[in-house]
Amino acid sequence: MMTDICVTYEQAPVADGSAVYVRDLRMSFGAKEVLRGVDFDVRYGEVFCLLGPNGAGKTTTLEILEGFRSPTGGVVRVLGLDPAAQPGRLRERAGMVLQECGFPRQARVAELIDVWRTYYPNPRPLGDLLEVVELTEMRNTQVRKLSGGQRRRLDFALALAGDPDLIFLDEPTTGFDPEARRRCWAAIENLRGLGKTILLTTHYLDEAERLADRIAIVRDGRIELCGTTHEVATRAGLATRISFTTPSALRRGQVPLPDGIDLAVRGSESVCHTSNAAMTLRLLLAWAHEHRLGDLDGLAVTAPRLEDTYLQLTRDQP
Amino acid sequence: MTRTIRLAARQALLEQRSFWRSAEYALFTFAFPLMILLLIGAANVGSHLPGTHIKNTTVFVPGILAFGVIVASYVNLGSKVAVLRHDGVLKRIRTTPLPSGAYIGGLLVSTLATAILITAATGLIGFLAFGARPRPGELLALGGGLVLGTVCFGALGLAVSSVITSSESAGPVAYASFLPIAIISGVFDPTFSGLPDWLSRLVAAFPVKALAEVLQNAYAVRPFPAWDFVNLGLWTAAGAAFAIWRFRWHS
Repeated sequence: MMTDICVTYEQAPVADGSAVYVRDLRMSFGAKEVLRGVDFDVRYGEVFCLLGPNGAGKTTTLEILEGFRSPTGGVVRVLGLDPAAQPGRLRERAGMVLQECGFPRQARVAELIDVWRTYYPNPRPLGDLLEVVELTEMRNTQVRKLSGGQRRRLDFALALAGDPDLIFLDEPTTGFDPEARRRCWAAIENLRGLGKTILLTTHYLDEAERLADRIAIVRDGRIELCGTTHEVATRAGLATRISFTTPSALRRGQVPLPDGIDLAVRGSESVCHTSNAAMTLRLLLAWAHEHRLGDLDGLAVTAPRLEDTYLQLTRDQP
Repeated sequence: MTRTIRLAARQALLEQRSFWRSAEYALFTFAFPLMILLLIGAANVGSHLPGTHIKNTTVFVPGILAFGVIVASYVNLGSKVAVLRHDGVLKRIRTTPLPSGAYIGGLLVSTLATAILITAATGLIGFLAFGARPRPGELLALGGGLVLGTVCFGALGLAVSSVITSSESAGPVAYASFLPIAIISGVFDPTFSGLPDWLSRLVAAFPVKALAEVLQNAYAVRPFPAWDFVNLGLWTAAGAAFAIWRFRWHS
């Protein structure tokens, strides 16, 4: 397993400069082991995504970080605090959006946000909160009359009310239609724009790819891979795809295949896969130059996509 | 400490605003007891308790006072907390640094305010419509009874909220668990009698009849209800203990 990719073990086990610091996190419910040694760091100011199928342990991890559960083992620091021991101090500085959380039925949008502001020592201004989540026009609407997407954005506003350093978002757009998701994403981008550190979980690839600076793929209680979208795909051993329109000379067999490249001629398209795109391109272009094939029409270099990585990882599931 | 009190007050204000905005809560809590007061009260005008000179309405009005207190504290608070729990509002509160005491305190203060308002409305209408008024020397006992009743049924409300399994069943469970007892306790009918001996003894063990008798005593001369105060005290302790033992922030 590649669980050690995310962290450097030589580091002293302290929360040095990370917003979230997790080492060898373990959690069992009875005999059931839900987390089997999770390690990752979230840096200040980044959007970090825990991506994985349902039941992988994402929400349990988040609940431990939020101080709702005590882990069976491991070290957890959030903003330098131990969540289980100092939940009150943590909640002054971390906003939390849980998966399913209701609102008081008769409250109005602005009124509710305003009450939430009184819970915190240094709240953000009301108008500012409404603007960030794009609910200014709904400020006097009763909460029960809001749509699912609007409610979720109100969730964000409440989580942001105390002007936290860090925001947890547990599956922020699950079950939403495309338009609602788009607006939620815009609101999350706004949060990022405020310089907030965001830790979100999702099982949507496009969401992770679009929002996250770094992604950790969680499966079966472990982090399988961690890094930027590109790093994750590379580390999964996925190849970059290089293709171009098959030159007629090559198709007619007047030109030999290039050395050292596993090139496949598929009719009008020629394709190769490589883990070293630069080297392969150099070889390819030199070969083309040597045989007067020009600049290779339709040359395309396709980096491995998160989706390919994810599908490969989940396909390998035991 | 002052911060907690300030936050509790703010919370209570929000609860009161929400309460008055919600037709179902406000209507059931206020309209229902006042309607019963006027309708059944009117049917009792001119009648006296058998073998006495005590007017039926003099005993009936404090019975409805007890009913109002129970609706405001037991039914309202109990169903409210159950709904807040099942809707995930309590869970959300836990994501904030708001002290639990400030939140629960706010709910209790709001409940108290509702109980005071319903009591004032019932007492006033009872006086204006039927001339029922507390005996001059018994105002302290009346106030004490109302406070003890609110605390007792508030504790029982919190306790029952923990056994309610869904938002939808909250109101029905809260009502159904006390209305039958209220009826056979004679709250709606001052001349109510004829229960089998074992049943009337059982009913006397519940706090509904105890509260009604304490308040009735403040309106009309009856044997001093020392046992009823004890009864309410015991139920308060039992309700509070159960509520604390079973309290959960999530369903």
